[in-house]
Amino acid sequence: MKRLRDLLVWIAGGALLSAVAVDSLAMIGRQIRFPLLGSIEIVEAVVLFAAGGGLIIATLDGAHARVNLLLARLPEYWRQRVARVHALVAALLFAALLAGTVWIAADLWNGYEESELLRIPYKPLRIAAACTLGVLLVLSLVAVTRRSTK
Amino acid sequence: MIGQPSVGLVGVVVLLALLISGMPIGIALGIAGLGGLIVTLGLEPALIKSGVLVFETMTRYELGTLPLFMLMAHLCFTAGASGDFFGLAARLFGHRRGGLAIASVAGCAGFGSINGSSLATTATMGLVAVPEMRTRGYSDALATGTIAAGGTLGQMIPPSGALIVFGIIAEQSIGTLFTAAIVPGLTQMLCYFVVIALLVGSRPSLAPPTPRATWAERIAALRRVVDIGLLVVVVIGGIVLGWITASEAAAVGAAGALLICMKRGKLDRATLRRALEDTLRTSGLIYLVVIGALIFAAFIGVTGLADAIGSAIVDLDLGPVATMLLVAVFLLLIGSVLDGLALMLLTTPILLPLVTDMGLSAIWFGIFLVRAMEIGFIHPPIGMNLYVIQGVVPDVSLGRIFKGVLPFLAADLVHLTLLIVFPVIALGLPTWLGR
Repeated sequence: MKRLRDLLVWIAGGALLSAVAVDSLAMIGRQIRFPLLGSIEIVEAVVLFAAGGGLIIATLDGAHARVNLLLARLPEYWRQRVARVHALVAALLFAALLAGTVWIAADLWNGYEESELLRIPYKPLRIAAACTLGVLLVLSLVAVTRRSTK
Repeated sequence: MIGQPSVGLVGVVVLLALLISGMPIGIALGIAGLGGLIVTLGLEPALIKSGVLVFETMTRYELGTLPLFMLMAHLCFTAGASGDFFGLAARLFGHRRGGLAIASVAGCAGFGSINGSSLATTATMGLVAVPEMRTRGYSDALATGTIAAGGTLGQMIPPSGALIVFGIIAEQSIGTLFTAAIVPGLTQMLCYFVVIALLVGSRPSLAPPTPRATWAERIAALRRVVDIGLLVVVVIGGIVLGWITASEAAAVGAAGALLICMKRGKLDRATLRRALEDTLRTSGLIYLVVIGALIFAAFIGVTGLADAIGSAIVDLDLGPVATMLLVAVFLLLIGSVLDGLALMLLTTPILLPLVTDMGLSAIWFGIFLVRAMEIGFIHPPIGMNLYVIQGVVPDVSLGRIFKGVLPFLAADLVHLTLLIVFPVIALGLPTWLGR
């Protein structure tokens, strides 16, 4: 599990560092009148991997922002029950988002979707987005079925 | 299918209930929005609309700005920037009565210029400045209150995570939002300086003077922040002057921070991994919130709730200033049960059309909303900054921290009112620069 997480951090982090490099080079290129063609398209593609990795890591770590006003005052037993209900709702949402993403991908499968300048194909990007949602769905379902610690 | 304001209102109530139950903000926004879209449009269009929004958000160039600015902040933190900013300010102002408190606010503003989060600024500066102030005999209420309030500058001084999220939701230029935030951020800092001066003027025992630093010490402290200071000038100056876009500025900032870490000998595989992992974790949190907020905003748009509320308020014929004062009171009340991000994402789709219908600028509204959010960070019962500070100094009670922050809270309310009455505070600089 730790190795998988390491891999995820380096892939998503690598995507982030690629965005840093591409946008910095684009800025320098523009200033010296040697523009980097399609830099925005590259950043849009790599940011998807950073966003996907970020979503998975935040979910794995239970780091999503929440209002703790009520939750912090509940006894442990009820807090765990509420957390499972929340995880179930999260699973429902991710399942719906996955369904919507797959639906569009299926509709556009033969449409040769690609970016304008560099002709980056969208198919792998849509697959990556769907995979991210699939992982989030699984993580939420695991949280629903996780046994109580007390 | 039904698409009425009443359905939108039910959606808002459901969302509020989900948020208060402690559900992750992004999930609550997403499920309330998706459920609403299913009721108003039907299952198939709702799923497709949500699917489109997910993909568009994850590949959105402008939203890529956020993780890059976060990476810059994490790397600057690794390089020791927070201590350096406070160190410089402490050597410049520390010898004056209340000088360390002023230095702490200035340090928060300095750290805020590389970091877009109130909580991170409060936690980081709290670790650096509160022990120093307490060692020098400062009142613990003043020390903790100063940092809790000063930490909110992290959200206002560009780059600001909240303004990036607002820019995405409201479809406004992030560069213009950053430019508009500069004067409100600086005037907020000045307000805090005035509060400290008044407090120590009336009760000198709150903050005894400390020994004056020599010029050699001051110059040494200045040298330590030159590189990061230069990076801040390039990043913020570049955006303000329109030389680079906000996204490019974020990339240049992150690249510069990497180089600074390398120069200072603080970059190795482990620190880079930690910076990347922390950045990804926070980015993931924000991405989920933005996806949820866009789905919820789409639902609110379909129901016409914002238009209905707008018409009702316009019918009251109060005028822009009185209306916005009313909105401010509403935001502060809602801010008592919701945290800042939830407050912004819940109210933006509803209030933004009203604001623009009254002829007010969406850019100004973004600054106003973030300012109102900041106040929520220091007023109970949510007041996240108060809890963060208590985490840093567990031996100081929440009551003492709140007592310390009260004068700053009063200054915040005055500042917010000034922002409403004089929108030029936010809009003056972008207008002058032709942004």
